[in-house]
Amino acid sequence: MQSMLKAARSAAGAALFGATLFLGSTALAQAEMRVAFGDIPSVETLHLLIAFERAKEAGLELEVSYLKSEDIAAQAVVSGQADVGVGGPYALIQKVKAPVRMFMQLSTLQMYPVVNGESYKTWKDLDGEEVAVHSRGSGTEALMKLAAQQNGIAFSGISYVPGSEVRAGALLQGNVKASIVDASGKRLLEKQAPGKFVFLPVDNITATDEALFANTEYLEANKEDVAKLVEAIVSTWREVQANPKIVGELRTKYNLLPDATPDMVAEIEPYFAEAAAAGLPLNGGGEEAAKDDFAFYTVSGALQGEATELKTEDFWDFTPLKAALAKLGQS
Amino acid sequence: MATFAQTGNRVRPAQAGWSLAQAFRARPGLWSLLSFALLCGVWEIAGLWPISYAFPTFSETLLAFWEMVFDGSMLQAYFITLQPLVLGVLVSALLGVALGIVMGLSEKAEWLLAPVFIVLQAAPMAALVPLVTFIYGIGLTAKTLAVIMLALPVIVLNSYKAVRHVSPSLVAMCRSFQGTRMQRIFKIVIPDASPVIFAGLRLGVAAGFIGVMLAELLITPTGVGDLITYHRSIANYAHMYAAVASIIALSMLTLVGLQRFETRFLRPEKRGA
Repeated sequence: MQSMLKAARSAAGAALFGATLFLGSTALAQAEMRVAFGDIPSVETLHLLIAFERAKEAGLELEVSYLKSEDIAAQAVVSGQADVGVGGPYALIQKVKAPVRMFMQLSTLQMYPVVNGESYKTWKDLDGEEVAVHSRGSGTEALMKLAAQQNGIAFSGISYVPGSEVRAGALLQGNVKASIVDASGKRLLEKQAPGKFVFLPVDNITATDEALFANTEYLEANKEDVAKLVEAIVSTWREVQANPKIVGELRTKYNLLPDATPDMVAEIEPYFAEAAAAGLPLNGGGEEAAKDDFAFYTVSGALQGEATELKTEDFWDFTPLKAALAKLGQS
Repeated sequence: MATFAQTGNRVRPAQAGWSLAQAFRARPGLWSLLSFALLCGVWEIAGLWPISYAFPTFSETLLAFWEMVFDGSMLQAYFITLQPLVLGVLVSALLGVALGIVMGLSEKAEWLLAPVFIVLQAAPMAALVPLVTFIYGIGLTAKTLAVIMLALPVIVLNSYKAVRHVSPSLVAMCRSFQGTRMQRIFKIVIPDASPVIFAGLRLGVAAGFIGVMLAELLITPTGVGDLITYHRSIANYAHMYAAVASIIALSMLTLVGLQRFETRFLRPEKRGA
């Protein structure tokens, strides 16, 4: 009994010590900005990693954690385990009224509807046919639905194949005849089977793919830190837009993605050349982008209600962006 | 329990709530209901608190559940989810029991197969399920295989142990009555081992439920897995929890049903215990 009591006491002591350490470390960590990223670091996000380095140079203490998915990043921000998240938490803000606001657009959805040239040539040919998209309620599905609307056609069915590279593989194998892929999927198809696939045009469909978001309280209390981050991103984006090759150079300078394979390194230049050609969001999105998102995400099902009746201030806080643009100028 | 009920009847204390107490004594099943009601109550309170923005109350979840039942999405989801589950469990049951019995009867087969299934049972299957897609793609085959990967080792190992632990005196009796090897297997070993084999099947079904959910969450979102992923992605958390709770409820009901069947027909000595 005596020894059990002793053990219990020492266990309690250890727990208390642990708790103090934990609380101490979170109190210290409060000073640095904790960014939750719902993806692994990759070529596609290299410019963001560069912007993070730039923000660090500007004196921002920043810690990035890489999580499994955007949902989890959003949950981390809502529960206060991260300060800033990367993603597009429209549904989360609307449905559960999470006190979270987006404050800067990082990228727009760049997806390419593609068909096997042996079966189809144009949008009209897809009338009554089946297409494969990423998942139910995803941006790829919304994009295909909007394009079908614009072209006055209807698909017979939509199948769900997660992963652009998986869909590209299925297209190459011939299991899928019509789908939608991302930029690297597009390049893969062009490289593996030149001329075999036809990329269908999409007009006037723009939507936020990824944005930065944070708790409203955090945005209010950490204006300077947020400003450093926003400025670093805006200026990096402009540099990349002017000279896409700089991404490779800056990767070496900051030693980013040190484990990248030669294949990945070779991807960097064409990826950013294409991104620049399509146009990076140089002014962090803003009012216009938010309106486009409403139109897009009401179709995808992420947002409910009429696009015209949604209010930007319920989803976005433009203050940090406006301040940064006032300093750096519009582009 | 029975003695308590008797004392209760004899003494008949005249305090308030007495009839309720008696009801609980007469029907111990009420305790299970009470435990369930408590759980739902705690859930409701936790949802109202709220412990997280993404945590709905019990009543919201129940409402979402009925909504999905009435709009047909739940039924359709189960139609899709049950295909790999039933198929996988059937294959595992037939193959598993046969393999287990062979392993139990023959030492060579045991040496050959037991290590594989022991390793498989200990392996973290969630990490292996995505590998299935490399070979079998993303269709029904891959999902059925995921169910088999989880269900088969449990069934095989239980059947094998059941055969190994057949009462030696029964086997000796068969021999002294000059029974043939076939008679020994079909009239003594398998009947005597059947309760444990069936228990293994029950555990296999439970593992199959885990397998099908892993497959639907890790391979491609279809059926109930799709309900969970889709509603999570559009922040319909009540619907997401309703889908999760429904699969838990179904697996629980299936297992309770199988257990009842087992006690009723295979283990009469356990009845009423």
